[in-house]
Amino acid sequence: MIKFSNVSLIYPNSTTTVLENLNLEIAEGEMVLVIGPTGSGKSSLLRLINGLVPHHTGGILAGDVSVDGISTQLVKPGGMAHLIGIVGQNPLNGFVTDTVEEELAFGMENLNLPNDVMRKRVEEILDLLSLAPLRNRTIATLSGGEQQRVAIGSALVTHPKVLILDEPTSALDPIAAEEVLSILQRLVHDLSLTVVIAEHKLERVIQFADRIVYINGQGETKIGSPEQIMVDSPIAPPIVELARALGLHEIGTTVREMRRMTQNLRDMKYESVEPATTSNKSLRIKIDSLSVSYPGHNAVKNFTANIHGNEIVALMGRNGAGKTSLLKAMAGIAEHAKGSVEVSGVNPQSLKGKSRRESIGYIPQEPSDLLYGQSVNLECEQADRDNEVRPGTTAALLEQLVPGVSGHTHPRDLSEGQRLGLALSVILSSNPQVLILDEPTRGLDYQAKRELVSILISFAQSYDKCVVLATHDVELVADLATRVIFIADGEKVADGTTLDVLLSSPAFAPQVAKVMSPHPWLRVRDVTAAIEIS
Amino acid sequence: MKKPSLHPLTWWIWAGLLAIAIIRFQSTVLSLLCVGAVAGLVFWLREDAPWGRSFTWTLKLSLWILMIRTVIGMLIGVPIPGNTVLTLPIVQLPSWMPGIRIGGAVTSERLTSALSEGILICAIILIFGAAASLTSPHRLLRTLPVYIYEFGVSIVIATSALPQLVTSVSRIRQAQLLRGQSSRGFKSWKRIAIPLLEESLARSLDLAAAMDSRGYGISSKRSRYRPIKLSYLDSFVIIFSIAVVGVS
Repeated sequence: MIKFSNVSLIYPNSTTTVLENLNLEIAEGEMVLVIGPTGSGKSSLLRLINGLVPHHTGGILAGDVSVDGISTQLVKPGGMAHLIGIVGQNPLNGFVTDTVEEELAFGMENLNLPNDVMRKRVEEILDLLSLAPLRNRTIATLSGGEQQRVAIGSALVTHPKVLILDEPTSALDPIAAEEVLSILQRLVHDLSLTVVIAEHKLERVIQFADRIVYINGQGETKIGSPEQIMVDSPIAPPIVELARALGLHEIGTTVREMRRMTQNLRDMKYESVEPATTSNKSLRIKIDSLSVSYPGHNAVKNFTANIHGNEIVALMGRNGAGKTSLLKAMAGIAEHAKGSVEVSGVNPQSLKGKSRRESIGYIPQEPSDLLYGQSVNLECEQADRDNEVRPGTTAALLEQLVPGVSGHTHPRDLSEGQRLGLALSVILSSNPQVLILDEPTRGLDYQAKRELVSILISFAQSYDKCVVLATHDVELVADLATRVIFIADGEKVADGTTLDVLLSSPAFAPQVAKVMSPHPWLRVRDVTAAIEIS
Repeated sequence: MKKPSLHPLTWWIWAGLLAIAIIRFQSTVLSLLCVGAVAGLVFWLREDAPWGRSFTWTLKLSLWILMIRTVIGMLIGVPIPGNTVLTLPIVQLPSWMPGIRIGGAVTSERLTSALSEGILICAIILIFGAAASLTSPHRLLRTLPVYIYEFGVSIVIATSALPQLVTSVSRIRQAQLLRGQSSRGFKSWKRIAIPLLEESLARSLDLAAAMDSRGYGISSKRSRYRPIKLSYLDSFVIIFSIAVVGVS
């Protein structure tokens, strides 16, 4: 169906090749997963398929890409519209119309399909993706998962033979992600649709993939079955890390396979490890019956919690459950907030300038909102000046967080992980008492996530400070958090240690816990530690 | 009660005819009544969408215009005799500018005439603002004939980018505030403008790529899903508006 022959790609003003001599044939009805570190060219590979690269982006393409016998060199992306559906990284940016129904019809109107055909297909897609109750809704008011479904629906409605998705689950909570992926799985099986997905969160998609394309960032690619690639891939989900740590000679990519392989291991007796009790630390954040309401709905309802030093608190919950509103209220920037919030004994709304920088550090969903310098160096110098610290402090922090960033780079040209690192070092240079992060792992690969985890843990432990983060990433929570607060529809549903909260709900359990259930282990190192002791 | 839904073009025709009527009558009281009625209509019928909020912006804009119009009317203009309210110092103008005076006595007659002219201008702006906030730009576009569609789409991208720009500004401003930066003055605008430009550029590129890969513009003919038709209510509103203008 899709054929890459001797494809090499290089962008203008760049010295490194994105892809080098790639040969790949994808058969009809195959589901192919593209993996690689951030900035390695996954998106470029996807956009080569319908010719957006190089028709839209520029760049020199050698070799040939053809889909169903049509070469992208001869046909523009529009000419492939009946053949290929593509869903971009941020679906909201790609919506052309206002309402769900009109958005679904847009592609068909372009292809000049007759009205009765359009009516039939819109109904079909509304049913297939369970969008029928949303048909007349304004797209901007839908939740992230619903928007993702609309984007997939509007790509499918022209009956393409190939569907391309760029990080379809990165912004979704585990349940919504599961929903989207199982729909894709069904389409592959029922309609023999060919699907190509790029995704960082391998734990969510690997069990669906027939083959994996691994791009290493220097243009080299490796293609094989998930088991073949996962033997020595530096990018691996926790389930594979577990198989490696246990020294299993086979690698399983699904929970079911891994449970079969670890049957003996689970049957053994283990001493239960008492969790280390933490001594009472100073109270950092005190929230008392907080409510945040916007016209039309209440984002946070009557929320009470105390957060102490040394704690790393993860806020979890569905898309639109009120996590961001809660974080904003903690930082003192939520409008229409009722109730009281105190950060180190002070109402955060009254904080300004230097005293704000020294008490609260906040990283928003888009870390680039914080950055306005023309280069990394200028940004670091500005932070040094603002916080009256020794010149070079911020740059040193950055070097520790993400080594090897050139000081002359424009912040816009950094990779997602590097940009987060820069924003984090700017914030940390003022040495705040409380660090708040909103969805920090969107678009981060495993390597960058590991670094983030070690920085945040050392920040929280060494100076009696606290970290609060909102995230959908269950594996990150298992690695990082000491406590989890679960909210639904603005109300606190669960509040307890990470172990208790994550183990109590199967949808939010990390992979290792699913494999090792009923043993209370969340991470690979929990398993190895327990085995060593007994 | 179900809100009546009118054809987008009806709203624009209605606004045009109403504006003509206001100009013909030249009455302050009538324009104020008209504005009141239109505002009520907008707050009742508008949708909770970016374009729905544009009426509030028009309201603010027209208040500014009214203020500036009144101040300038007081400063510059042909003197109208009457009761003097206050006297401003007169600026001496060269002899080749006869008949124009800056400053001088401000009479109550001059004040009221400046105010009523301002109100007329604002009423017209507000009526068109109302039409804009009652019609989705995308729906309006779909009623236009196919051959101007290409031109229309670029306008739609521009109009849908504007409300998004407003939300982006407030988001970035909030983030900068959290970094402990003040949000006032020229310097703060530079800080906001750079991330803003980046973001809107990336967004427009995304949108263009999405439209391209969904086959926009590959066929010279476009079919229509659910064409919008004129209803009886539409014809009634249009005929009624024409009648009002005719009477005036």
